[in-house]
Amino acid sequence: MSAAASRPVGTRVKGIYAHLDSFLAGVERLKSEGLTHFEVLTPLPRHEILEAVYEGRPSPVRWWTLTGGVCGITTGFLLTSLTAIQWPMINPGGKDVVALPPYAVIMFECTILFGALATLVGLLVHCGLPGFWLDSSLKDPRVSDDKFGIVFLRASESDAPKIEAALRESGAIEVTSGDDTVYEVSNV
Amino acid sequence: MHDTIDPNRPASYAAANRDIIRVLLQPNLGWLALFLTATAAMIYGGYCWYLQLTWGLGLGGYNPPIMWGIYIVTFVFWVGIGHAGTLISAILFLVRSRWRTGVYRASEAMTVFAVMTALLFPVLHLGRAWQVYWFFPYPNQRYLWMNFKSPLMWDVFAISTYFTVSAVFFFIGLVPDLAIVRDHSKGLVQKVYSVLALGWRGTGRQWHHYMAAYGFFAALAAPLVLSVHSVVSWDFAMAITPGWHSTIFPPYFVAGAIFSGCAMVITLLLPMTYAFGWKDYVNLWHFEQLAKMCLLTSGILTYAYGMEYFIGWYSQNPYEWAIFSWRATGEDYAWAFWVMVTCNCIIPLVWYFRPLRTNPVSLFVVSLFVNVGMWFERFNIVVSSLAHNFNPATWSYYWPSEIEWGIMIGSFGWFFFWFMLFLQVLPAVAIAEIKEMIAPPVRGAVEAK
Repeated sequence: MSAAASRPVGTRVKGIYAHLDSFLAGVERLKSEGLTHFEVLTPLPRHEILEAVYEGRPSPVRWWTLTGGVCGITTGFLLTSLTAIQWPMINPGGKDVVALPPYAVIMFECTILFGALATLVGLLVHCGLPGFWLDSSLKDPRVSDDKFGIVFLRASESDAPKIEAALRESGAIEVTSGDDTVYEVSNV
Repeated sequence: MHDTIDPNRPASYAAANRDIIRVLLQPNLGWLALFLTATAAMIYGGYCWYLQLTWGLGLGGYNPPIMWGIYIVTFVFWVGIGHAGTLISAILFLVRSRWRTGVYRASEAMTVFAVMTALLFPVLHLGRAWQVYWFFPYPNQRYLWMNFKSPLMWDVFAISTYFTVSAVFFFIGLVPDLAIVRDHSKGLVQKVYSVLALGWRGTGRQWHHYMAAYGFFAALAAPLVLSVHSVVSWDFAMAITPGWHSTIFPPYFVAGAIFSGCAMVITLLLPMTYAFGWKDYVNLWHFEQLAKMCLLTSGILTYAYGMEYFIGWYSQNPYEWAIFSWRATGEDYAWAFWVMVTCNCIIPLVWYFRPLRTNPVSLFVVSLFVNVGMWFERFNIVVSSLAHNFNPATWSYYWPSEIEWGIMIGSFGWFFFWFMLFLQVLPAVAIAEIKEMIAPPVRGAVEAK
């Protein structure tokens, strides 16, 4: 791949907000203008933010949890049953060789264990973690402090002015375009 | 009301960051003294274990029929301590209880370290500790599999799962806060926190999936709170030993575990809160809720203690009645029984009086009594039933040897070593969740979430 081909197409446009209501107004304004290919940056997971951006769409992480849980209960059953069948003459406590009540404990534990580990994998996959290679415009330490951000990674030349105007008019305290600056917050 | 952190002092997001991060990597003399004491206790415990490995389990105080002693007592004690963290972080999250926010991170850390400590004891209990891997199912050269019908094997799965899920839940909860620490540090420290934070940037996408996953983790961890100590109780209840063979054991153990865990949270967090000046984030209101939780579970335990006696009498089972009578009146261990009753059933009653459950001294002192009482509860269950079993010819007396006391002290050293380290390197209050309790910065009217 050539260097030119790996360069992002379009311009980065980023707005930083000091106030939650301005930020939400910016999100709604952009959505109303059909400019929806943006990412938001927030210091905390407030529901009104996620509702405004994702509009109630559920996260696919749930399918990872379900798959992990189903794999877990199956593994728990197969592990206990198949290993017991391998030595069918050993019959502790007069129980059946494949005895579901005692095996239910192992199946339950495997369900939880596999479900949790699958959820972890799903979380990492969908969050893009580890995220060391995120675009530099998304790496803004001010956001972990108290600021909110809206970032367009690849705004087209025609959209960029409209986006900048929307960000400014909704109350962004800073609007940058094509900016690679790394910001720092004061050390505590 | 406590809908915001402190109504008299409108905290900001940035102030929360500063207040909680400023104590990191700032060891003072008090911390150093506690850390070195814990390290010394841990080393002493390690030395005792070395002696036991060298000379054999005979250095422990075991003699038939009492082959479970202080190691199993302390194992159950630490598993119980580990319950409060997941209760507070998972179950109280699912029911949207607001008071969990200030205390859940340190409680989760306590859970992880307590279970790490508990996990030592099955190994310490083995004569040939290097063969501990025989516990785990794998295709082996002996062509043998373990007996999955044994409660001891259920315990291996229950505790391993509990530890793994608690550790994952703890770490995932930390990630956004580690990113905050990264953004407020420099140089090598920043690089270390950068790696630990996994490149978290607080993007909408990250929060969206994070919140969903966090809910699922909580939903998966919640049943573990009930199951883990139920499974531990089956280690005893599935045996026909008098005093153990009881269907009341699972709820009785779970209530006891929550009781001891919440008391330990008070013991650990109360000094921490004052030492770090975090009264805006963790205050007496939080500790009052923990005290109420202790009161509830103390009542359940008292009922369970009484019900054991009722069942022993009403069933007319002479073995059951004999062991319960002997526990309370026998010359060997009656004192331990009454220590248990005093610490678990009587002393916590002072918390029915509001001034006493909102007083730091009363909270701390009573929580210490509960910790002691809950250790003695396990001592009563484990030792007295084995000492006084079906056959009077085998009745015996057990008292821990110096090696066993040394290893138990070492376990406390191990636990506090990790907890003290945690206070220095990780945010002990969940910053991102604390921010949810703070009124957000808005141009219009200020309102809390």
